[in-house]
Amino acid sequence: MFADIKDATIEVWQHRELLEQLTRRDIKLRYKQAAMGLAWAVFMPCLIVLSGLIVRYAMAQISGATLKQSDIANIAVKGVGWAFFVGALGFATASLVGNSNLVTKIYFPREVLPLSSVGAQSFDTSIGLLTLIVVLPFLGVRLHPSLAWVPLLLLLLLLFTTGVSLFLSCANLFFRDVKYIVQVVLMFGIFFTPIFFEPSMLGPRGAQLAMLNPLTGILEGLRLTVVEGRSLLHPISVVVKGVERPVWEPLELVYSAVCAVAAVLGSAMMFRRLQHLFAEYV
Amino acid sequence: MSDTAVLVDSVWKKFRRGERHDSLRDLIPAAVGRLVRGPRPASELREGDFWALRDVSFEVKRGDALGIIGHNGAGKSTLLKILTKLLRPTLGSYVTHGRIGALIEVTAGFHQDLTGRENIFLNGAIIGMKRADIQRRFDAIVDFSGVGEFIDTPVKRYSSGMNARLGFSIAAHLEPEILIIDEVLSVGDFTFQGKCIRWMQDVLENGTTVIFVSHNMDAVLSLCNTAILLNQGAITASGELTNVVAEYYKSGGQWRPELLAEPMAATIDFSSSLGNQIVVNPGQRVEFTHTLTSSIESELTPGFFVRRGGKNVIESTYARMRGHPLHLRAGEVASIDWSLSFNVPAGVYEVGYHIRDIEGRYHDHQNGACIVTVGDDPRVKSESYIGMKLDERRDGELVLGPASQRTGRAP
Repeated sequence: MFADIKDATIEVWQHRELLEQLTRRDIKLRYKQAAMGLAWAVFMPCLIVLSGLIVRYAMAQISGATLKQSDIANIAVKGVGWAFFVGALGFATASLVGNSNLVTKIYFPREVLPLSSVGAQSFDTSIGLLTLIVVLPFLGVRLHPSLAWVPLLLLLLLLFTTGVSLFLSCANLFFRDVKYIVQVVLMFGIFFTPIFFEPSMLGPRGAQLAMLNPLTGILEGLRLTVVEGRSLLHPISVVVKGVERPVWEPLELVYSAVCAVAAVLGSAMMFRRLQHLFAEYV
Repeated sequence: MSDTAVLVDSVWKKFRRGERHDSLRDLIPAAVGRLVRGPRPASELREGDFWALRDVSFEVKRGDALGIIGHNGAGKSTLLKILTKLLRPTLGSYVTHGRIGALIEVTAGFHQDLTGRENIFLNGAIIGMKRADIQRRFDAIVDFSGVGEFIDTPVKRYSSGMNARLGFSIAAHLEPEILIIDEVLSVGDFTFQGKCIRWMQDVLENGTTVIFVSHNMDAVLSLCNTAILLNQGAITASGELTNVVAEYYKSGGQWRPELLAEPMAATIDFSSSLGNQIVVNPGQRVEFTHTLTSSIESELTPGFFVRRGGKNVIESTYARMRGHPLHLRAGEVASIDWSLSFNVPAGVYEVGYHIRDIEGRYHDHQNGACIVTVGDDPRVKSESYIGMKLDERRDGELVLGPASQRTGRAP
């Protein structure tokens, strides 16, 4: 099993220049002959934040509370992360089938195709992140030592996304309906991932269920460290109407990390074992 | 280091006719069926399966040029796909020693929205070139392709010929140790084809191992030194080149008896007065020299032909011009000076030669030994011909004066 992953790593490393070229190609193609240009990179996060605001506004209306600046910051931080996940999966799922002329004609480690989709999306997202750095101070976000968690959380997000991308690109090569399933799942996925809300709003039971989603730990971690300046080493809870509701458990981070690493290793192994069939089945 | 470049050992490849399961809905019944019946051995043919390759074994030595020939559907492309790691054999194994480069569908890595320059870097990386190598060879690639000032134009605006030429040029600068070629020498116009043939000969001279798939027997005869013939997935002839080509013609019903195998008794050397890529004005003379030696006493006929667009414009042999074959004593050196005047319309002409014995068997056959580009001259339109003259020397002494022939052709 680890031999497969070792092979894949060595071969992808040998083809790192190809990976770079394909990533550049994907980035160029997104901005060539595109009316919106670089604005495209912040368009999707902006839409997510806007939809989140509408949801939160409605919630605030019902409960009689007011919408706080930090709510906007919360949604923005998690929205950028979600936009990365959705964007990368959307492109990566189609990456092998969309490059079938390459897959059937020229040999190179096929991992570079979904990886370059993730790479190109990382470029878009880094523009989103830069925008965030500019905007967040206006929303009352200050520098905290807890920001040191951010690189680890982003790495976990990248790993998890890469793992799922490898799996889906491969699955879509064999079964073309995977693409449509992914579309639908991603469309409604935003309601199963705490972007517009915090897990604690679902009540103790609901929060636990929401934490089964590996993205929850990563995105909530980002929110708590960036916006609230909290350390992830200790459990956090709030007391609402006399009931204690969990906000954060350090185990969540462990769970997300295990999921991310397992996703990458499992998918990479599956991808390796199946890739000799790609040219025949694509 | 062994002198084997490629060793293919009893390779079988199974394919399936008709459609496969390609949605999840179809998979489930198939998977249940597999569970109930248990896995099947790889060597078993199910309904709809067929062998695209059967027990294919061969070896290519370092520096050899192997021709893979066969009629459509014989399994040539499947074999190449296995050698380039695109497919895995169902049974059997193969080893390759050295970096493999493939000239198969050279524009597959192009993206139509990117410029020629961007595509050179992209496609170069896809076929396995390092960035530094591409940068170093960039000018050579552009120069070879003849794309020139269009290098910063998106390739979607290129003509199909420019597209193919650029693709070929990139692949041609890969410099692999084992080169696999599938019918790509017919890219571009005739000028470019001339370049490709030159390039192929350079590659062979540099000692690159070449595996060449083609339906063009002239190209196979002139470029390869060994061949295998595939028929319905199995090797039906291999080894000596002319033998295999003869088998190919036999199996296709086009029997060419003169291609019988024969140990090369005679050798021939070819040179031209102006190099092997020549630009001339109409009417200008070009001298070519054939030097022949034979290990045994023999009666030989060196021949000469000029082709344009794959068709003979003029062809002549020593015997036709002299009325008798060339008699060579064992070890004697004869040289024939051919003098050709190209009084023909502007264009690219390919000069080739062959040497046959009195039974008509080929001892050597070479297309594209020299590429002659003739410039434009309006006077040629009224009268168009190629004049041919020959002088004969034995051990350096002129023994027979000129004989000449003129072949006229309507422009």
